[in-house]
Amino acid sequence: MIRFEQVSKKYASGQEALTDLSFELAAGEMAFVAGHSGAGKSTLLRLVALMDRPTRGQITVNGQNFAKTKARHVPRVRRGVGMVFQDHRLLMDRSVFDNVALPLEIAGCTREEIGKRVRAALDKVGLLAREASAPVTLSTGEQQRVGIARAIVGKPPVLIADEPTGNLDPMLSAEIMKLFAEFEQVGTAVLVASHDLNLIKRMGKRVLVLDHGKLIDDFRPATAKAEVPA
Amino acid sequence: MNRRVAPAQIKAEKPVTAPPAPRATAHERPRVGAWREHHSRSFRTSLQRLTARPGATALTLLVMSLALCLPFLLWLLLDNARALGGHLDDARGIGVFLKPEVDSAAAKSLAETLRQRADVADVVIKTPEEGLAEFRSQSGFADALKVLQSNPLPTVLIVTPKIATAPTRGAPPIVDELARDKHVDQVQYDALWRQRLDAILAFTARLAGVLAVLLGLAALLVVGNTVRNDIAGRAEEISVMQLLGADRAFVRRPFLYTGLWYGALAGLCALILIGVVEIALSAPLGQLTSSYGGRFAIHGLSIVQALALLGASIVLGWLGAWIATTRQLSFGHPQ
Ligand SMILES: Nc1ncnc2c1ncn2[C@@H]1O[C@H](COP(=O)(O)OP(=O)(O)O)[C@@H](O)[C@H]1O
Ligand SMILES: [Mg+2]
Repeated sequence: MIRFEQVSKKYASGQEALTDLSFELAAGEMAFVAGHSGAGKSTLLRLVALMDRPTRGQITVNGQNFAKTKARHVPRVRRGVGMVFQDHRLLMDRSVFDNVALPLEIAGCTREEIGKRVRAALDKVGLLAREASAPVTLSTGEQQRVGIARAIVGKPPVLIADEPTGNLDPMLSAEIMKLFAEFEQVGTAVLVASHDLNLIKRMGKRVLVLDHGKLIDDFRPATAKAEVPA
Repeated sequence: MNRRVAPAQIKAEKPVTAPPAPRATAHERPRVGAWREHHSRSFRTSLQRLTARPGATALTLLVMSLALCLPFLLWLLLDNARALGGHLDDARGIGVFLKPEVDSAAAKSLAETLRQRADVADVVIKTPEEGLAEFRSQSGFADALKVLQSNPLPTVLIVTPKIATAPTRGAPPIVDELARDKHVDQVQYDALWRQRLDAILAFTARLAGVLAVLLGLAALLVVGNTVRNDIAGRAEEISVMQLLGADRAFVRRPFLYTGLWYGALAGLCALILIGVVEIALSAPLGQLTSSYGGRFAIHGLSIVQALALLGASIVLGWLGAWIATTRQLSFGHPQ
């Protein structure tokens, strides 16, 4: 689903954010991107979402070689990548329902299709009862779950999340991470950036560890999947 | 499998249902039905956005409609001036005012000599009595004329020059010759005045055209600037939509409809403004036309002209929004 081949990214400032990065993530596989602040986690995810282009190397997502993707095809590629942001980036002047419906509107779904799928997505994140609410009336954790519903409503083959639990307390964080793990079971490739190593270890998923832009480790914690503390 | 939820979310708790639905097609091409839906939704939401900021919207509409109605008012004035000019078509004749001491016999013999000339088509004698009667019937000064004890009008010869010999510009030579005649007090050649009127009308028409272009440009800038502000205020929304895979057309659509609405509403405002101006001017214009014996009537904007104004306004609004979105929306890499 996602393949990086010797990818490097150097910003215009001269900062080399990623160096010679290679990895592969299969459909239905979930991985965390770990590393200190400034290690290049966000840069990696930005490349997957075509928010930026690599300086060197090949990136293939959903079978699409980004080197051959013209600017006008970028929107179509993005529709295949669900995105969750640390600050959720919900549109505050729209209801929860309309926020989640946005990707489907963009993708060109009809009203009735949108209604069905938005409710299914909100049900999945446990917020079906709040569809008419304004996002500001929700708690931070709920807002993040709306963000997740928006990312998965279009059933994209790839789901990426940059520090999705950065603003949440540990209990809510574990909750959100478990939610991501569920999508892996539906055949989605899930890539989550986080600096919370404790949480990552408890999840028992594959971990890509970045350090100063280099991939220094790629492992799966031996520890069994721990129960989330209540 | 049971998901735990935070206490705040207990109410929403329910067994996770989400059946693994078949791989859907949201990332494929938009379909026609949905495309039409997005158009109608953009059409509605863009109007709602305008009404959500009534102050700013009213200001934009006022400036736009003023810019639109000024050239149209000038054209209207021009149309009426042309109609008025048309009624003076008989003014080709040369009015020869004889000196008061010239009696009717002398006038007749002068008329006869003039008739013999090759460049004269016809000569009509208007006695002072005929002149006074005509003046009474037409000018509305009947009461004032009653005060006069004697007839102050001279004998007038209306000399019609032959068209073929009349020069296209300037006065025919006979005008100068008549002016030098010892019986003649004054020569009035209306065609000269007519030529000047034509020149003034042509100039005004050009002025209206130039103004229309300049003010149309102003209207374009007003819409463009308003839409530009609108885009700046919605930067976050735009960037989120782009991240969710919205293409250029999708992001731009609501703003184009905003321009369309501005154009349509400003066009209606301009029509109302023109209507108000027409009503305000109708009383004095009525007096003016009645002084011409009601031989011509003031006409307002025709249906075709009104539709043309509305159409031009809509096109300007849309174009302004198009330019603003083209300049303002970067379709590269949103943050
Ligand atoms: N837009 C940018 N321009 C220049 N340098 C950048 C930009 N974004 C990130 N960087 C630099 O690239 C490195 C990696 O950043 P980032 O990918 O955000 O790391 P992380 O998300 O792991 O904290 C950092 O040194 C950062 O300063
Ligand atoms: Mg980061």
